Amino acid sequence: MADTGPEQASSPYMAMFEGFRQELDEHHDRRERIIKASRDITAASKKIIFTLQRVRTLGASIPPFAVKSNTPYWEIIEKQYKSIAADLQGINAFRYERQITGGNQEFIESLTFQHYLESQTLITYDDAKARVARLSGEGGAVSLSPEDYILGVFDMIGEVMRFSITAMATNGKVPTGKQTKAAGPPSKEEESEQPADKMDIDEPPFVPSEKLQPRSVLDDLREIRLQLEMFNPPKSKFGDDVEKKMVVMQQCVDKVEKALYSLTVRGSERPKGWVPDVQEDRRSAVESY
Amino acid sequence: MAAQHGMVDPAIFQDLQARIDADAAVRDELKDLIQALEKHNRNISFVLSRAHSTPVSDLSSVLNAAQEHIESAVGTVSTLSDKASKVPYYKFNSMWSRQVQTTTYGILLWGWLGGTGEGSGAKTGRLLTIEEVGDKLKIPVNLKDRDAFHLTIEEYLLALTELIDELSRLARNAVTLGDYERPLAINQFIKDVHAGFQVLNLKNDILRRKSDGLKYRVKEVEDVVYDLSLRNLIPKKTMA
Repeated sequence: MADTGPEQASSPYMAMFEGFRQELDEHHDRRERIIKASRDITAASKKIIFTLQRVRTLGASIPPFAVKSNTPYWEIIEKQYKSIAADLQGINAFRYERQITGGNQEFIESLTFQHYLESQTLITYDDAKARVARLSGEGGAVSLSPEDYILGVFDMIGEVMRFSITAMATNGKVPTGKQTKAAGPPSKEEESEQPADKMDIDEPPFVPSEKLQPRSVLDDLREIRLQLEMFNPPKSKFGDDVEKKMVVMQQCVDKVEKALYSLTVRGSERPKGWVPDVQEDRRSAVESY
Repeated sequence: MAAQHGMVDPAIFQDLQARIDADAAVRDELKDLIQALEKHNRNISFVLSRAHSTPVSDLSSVLNAAQEHIESAVGTVSTLSDKASKVPYYKFNSMWSRQVQTTTYGILLWGWLGGTGEGSGAKTGRLLTIEEVGDKLKIPVNLKDRDAFHLTIEEYLLALTELIDELSRLARNAVTLGDYERPLAINQFIKDVHAGFQVLNLKNDILRRKSDGLKYRVKEVEDVVYDLSLRNLIPKKTMA
C-alpha cells in the first residue's frame, strides 16, 4: 500500500500524508491490541465466574478446587493487562475507553463476586482500582473508571442471584454467612447517610436489632439494591446502561425473594430435592443472563 | 447503626456519586463553550459561502469578513483549550471534536481561498498544514507526550474531506461566474489530496467513509474540466 503510482508520487502532500499514515497506524495497532486483550480478559473472567458458581460456601475462603481451576485464568488476566498497560498511559489513558470497557466490566464482575463469596462484602472502588493497577505491572496502571466499576457491580448481582438459587435448590435454605451484623466495615458507619433506608424494605423486624444475627444473601442483595437504586447516573451512554441494568438487577433480587417465599411456604411439604418453582426460576435466570 | 450496612460500605457509593457528578459538572461547563464555537462556525461558513458567487478579484472582502469570525472562534477555542486541558483530553474530546473539526474546515477553506495572503496578491489554492491550522487556532497539534487540548490528525483529515466537498461545488460555480481557471486548479488540488488519502491505512470508521467519498469529488471536478476542454474554454497557459 506504500507503493505510489506516478501520479501519486507527484502530489506535493505525499510526505505529509506519509507522516499521518505512521501516526494512524500506531493508533490502530494500539487499538487492536486493546480490543484483543479486552476480549481475552472478558473470556477469562467468565470462566472464573463459572467456577465460582460451583462454590457453596459464603464468607469463607474459596475452596481449593476453585482456586486451582481459576489460577490459569487469573494469570491470563494479568498477562493481558500487562500487555496493554503501556498503551494506556498519559494522554492515551482514556483514548481507548470504549475498547477496554468490556474487559474491565467483566473483570470487576468476577472480582466483586469472588470478593463477596470470600468476605460477604462489596469490594470498594479504590481496592478494585488498586487491583487492576497491580495486575497492570510495571508499565503503569490501566485505569479503572467508576463507570466500569458500577456496571460490573450490577452484573455481579446476577451472579449472586444464581449462587443463591443454586444453594437454595441444593441445600433447601438461603445461603447465610458466618459474619454478624456487627462485624461490618468499621468506622465510616457513623456518618452513614439515611439510616432510615432499611426501613423502606420489608425486612424481618428482628434483623436490625439482633446484632449477632448472621447476614443472609438476601439481606445483602436488598442492601446493595438500595445503594444502586439511590445512585443517580448522568444523562449519557453510561446513564442508559445503568437504567437497563437497574431493571435486570431488580429482577434478580425479586427472583431470590420469590424463591425464598416458595421455600418458606412449601418448604416443609416438599420431599427432598423436589423444588419445581426454583427450577423454573433458575432456568429463566440463566436465560436473562 | 453499624448494623444497617453489613455488605456495602455506603462511602463507596457516595464517593462514586461525587466522581460522576464532578464529571457532569465539567461537561456542563464545556457545553456552553462548545455551543459558542458552533455559533462562530456557522458565521464562518455563512460568510465563506459567498465565495461561490464572488469573482476571485473581489474575494478579499469576503476573506476579511470571514477572518473576523475566525478570530472569534479562535478566542473560544483558547478558552476551551484552557478549561479542557485541566481534564483528561480523551475523556471529553468527543464533546468538541465535531466543532473543532468544523472550525478547522473553515480555516482550511479560508486559507485555500487566499486568506493567509496579504491584499490582492493573496495566494490561492494552498493547503494549510495541520501545524499552520494549529498556529492559527493557537493550540498544539497531534499531542503525544502530554495530556492537553490539541488538534488531532483525525480532526484535520476530516476537515480536509469537507474542504474537498466544498471545492468540488466551487469548481462548478466558478464556471458559472465565467472563471475557467479555478476549476483546473481545484482539479489538480483534489487529485493531489486524493492521492495523499490513498496512502493511509484506514480502518472501517468515519475517516474511511469520508476518504472513500473523495473519488466521487475527483470525478465531479474532472467532468467540469472535461466540459470546459470540450468547448475550448480552458485558458491556454494552463493547458501547457
